[in-house]
Amino acid sequence: MAVFKDASEVYLCIGGLFRRALTEPLAQKVSDSKISVRFNYSDPDSAITVDAKNPPPGEPYTIYEGDINFKPDVVMSMKADVAHQFWLGKVNLVAALAKGQMKAVGPIQSIIKLIPVIKPAFELYPQYLKEIGRADLTQ
Amino acid sequence: MATGYMGRLLRVDLSAGRLEDLPLDQDWLRRYIGGSGLAARYFAEAVRPADGGPARPDPLGPDNELIIMTGPLAGTPFPSASRFNVVARSPLSGIWGESSVGGFFGPHLKFAGYDGIVVTGASERPVYLAIDDGRAELRDASDLWGLDTYEVHARFSPDGWRVLAIGPAGERLVRFASIVHDRAHVAGRGGLGAVMGSKRLKAVVVRGRQEVPLADRATIDRLRRELIERGKESLTLQTYREVGTISSIELSLMVGDMPTKNWREGLWEEGLQALGGNNYNATILTGRRTCFGCPVSCKRVVRVDDQPYRVEQGPGPEYETVAAFGTGLRVDNPRAVARMNDICNRQGLDTISCGGTLAYAFEAYERGLIGPADTDGLELNWGDAGAAVALTQRIARREGFGKLLGEGSQRFAATLGPGADEFLMTVKGVEVPYHDPRAMHGLALQYATSDRGASHLSGLTFYAELGMAYIPDLGVEPPDSAQTSDGKAALHARAQDAGQALGGALALCYAGGSIVTGEEAVAALNAATGFDHSVEEFLTTGRRIWTLKRLINGAFGMTRADDRIPARFREPLPDGPAAGLVPDIERQLAEYYSLMQLDESGQPDPSEVERLGLSDVASCLAPAKAHPRRHRVDAQEGLVL
Repeated sequence: MAVFKDASEVYLCIGGLFRRALTEPLAQKVSDSKISVRFNYSDPDSAITVDAKNPPPGEPYTIYEGDINFKPDVVMSMKADVAHQFWLGKVNLVAALAKGQMKAVGPIQSIIKLIPVIKPAFELYPQYLKEIGRADLTQ
Repeated sequence: MATGYMGRLLRVDLSAGRLEDLPLDQDWLRRYIGGSGLAARYFAEAVRPADGGPARPDPLGPDNELIIMTGPLAGTPFPSASRFNVVARSPLSGIWGESSVGGFFGPHLKFAGYDGIVVTGASERPVYLAIDDGRAELRDASDLWGLDTYEVHARFSPDGWRVLAIGPAGERLVRFASIVHDRAHVAGRGGLGAVMGSKRLKAVVVRGRQEVPLADRATIDRLRRELIERGKESLTLQTYREVGTISSIELSLMVGDMPTKNWREGLWEEGLQALGGNNYNATILTGRRTCFGCPVSCKRVVRVDDQPYRVEQGPGPEYETVAAFGTGLRVDNPRAVARMNDICNRQGLDTISCGGTLAYAFEAYERGLIGPADTDGLELNWGDAGAAVALTQRIARREGFGKLLGEGSQRFAATLGPGADEFLMTVKGVEVPYHDPRAMHGLALQYATSDRGASHLSGLTFYAELGMAYIPDLGVEPPDSAQTSDGKAALHARAQDAGQALGGALALCYAGGSIVTGEEAVAALNAATGFDHSVEEFLTTGRRIWTLKRLINGAFGMTRADDRIPARFREPLPDGPAAGLVPDIERQLAEYYSLMQLDESGQPDPSEVERLGLSDVASCLAPAKAHPRRHRVDAQEGLVL
């Protein structure tokens, strides 16, 4: 059984993580990366884009849920379950890519640049889930 | 006669100045394939007591055999299979020494008509070995002696020779001297350059136009096409091409594998930014190179224009070197790292052991165990790239303090008295490569039981834990967690068999070859040789090779007591993703010994030896009674020999 019952849960939990991160030091790292990343999820179908390339003035980045009308630098595709486990810090990124559980398309240097950026989110995600009353998903 | 091979070895007796061709033993080809596996079988003959007595070659004496061996895929169109192995008894560890090298020398040795070279004896004067399309001869090298490896390369390469040479460090018997091919490809580990130096063999140069015979060329060609197409989709191979092995700096963040300040710290944000792949590309990268027949191009070309770290355009540092001279010493300047890499390549020094020995010296200095009076006046403070550069040059020349450091960190530590081994980062005398077993617990077992001292390349355990080795048909898959000891003994046993077969016997590159399945590797082997190996037999070959090397090490006095990890790996890191974690090495070892059927002394059980068809050679490799690797201080030289 999938972790998220529909796209709105994906946006609440994983999209919410990115919104929650806006107030954390992590936001500055994302902003400094100056890249845009689209996460395509399946089961349930959903998509979240984090754009640090063209953010609004004063904001570190913009979050889009669903379709977008520009080409992101990096596209990462995976099941929403894998994404959930990934943000919990329970998925080895390199192994997931090797096994085909994740696919990444885009300039390698941009993808490499993402790694130090996203690392702090692993601690933030379970904390955020508890804050929104979804501690059940941290197990 | 199996195809895939040229069918002969060149045996060189430098003492007698005699060269002879040896036919390849067909039974051994089937059972050891090539590379370090086949080399181990030939080497075992040299360990054998000729008169039944305890004949054990002195690593730097004339009886030590230095063997250069290719695999059956070298020189064929199969991609990422151009590597060859250099083996000998290591002057750094006193046990089996092995180093794998890429580039072009292996294929061109076969084009010159030979699968391998066995060198014994020692010449009275400097010589080099030239093999010119099937004709081999020893030539005077008086005018080459003292040249660095780039100068030797420049002397020969314009005439189409492929060059394997030692630098001044090998001539001066630095115990971690390397052998350098084409300026960029290095047999770094174990001090095999010093073995060449002890024989006064400055270089081996080869050229030729012979073709490698193949049993089934069509299959090799098909596999090549398929692998090249797959490689275009592989993020791993794209990463190797774009960022090189330096991508490990960034990837290390995922698991906490960032050895810093002689392994005391596990997270260094400034170092990550300064030394990582993106800044490397932005500051020093000027191009990329590749090995024979490999579409990946993971090799870096760099240039530094400004003093004090000026480097002419040439081979750039790879991950291990960046970590050894960068994070290990807390030097955050990629230009300084490139300079130290350049010195090591030219002079012929292993960058891992050199950086590890420097880091040890820096900590000894910090602890007050040594001072400026010991270091020729140099102050060894973390991050001082100038001091590191100066010491690297002195090690190569064996000058002053560099003479002592040129013995390696373990022998240096023995001069410092009690407690000095608390921060010594070696296994069996070999400095640990820059991956932290507190971040990948199975790696602790790999280090402890490797056939050549600390090595992350003796099997595929490290790559499996990192996530890069996914070869289900060889039983190698990334574990659920790198940071647990659960299940790691079984993983290591499988990954070791696979690694010994793929990287050891078949001489396949772990990087470019990371997309090759077990079935494809075996198909390529069979297509080259005409053998009918199954995947199962291939894995048994890996086990046979590891067991033979274990028997050889037993003959050199190695026991279970030597299967250990540095004390620091039992201390948790204070920071980073691996903070607070240590591997349970005792449990892993106990499980591993059981799986591998090793007895109380650490030697393979006779039933396992028989199952693997090693009884004939095992009877001649009886374990030494006395441990041969005791160190002593020479009162006059101040060295530990």
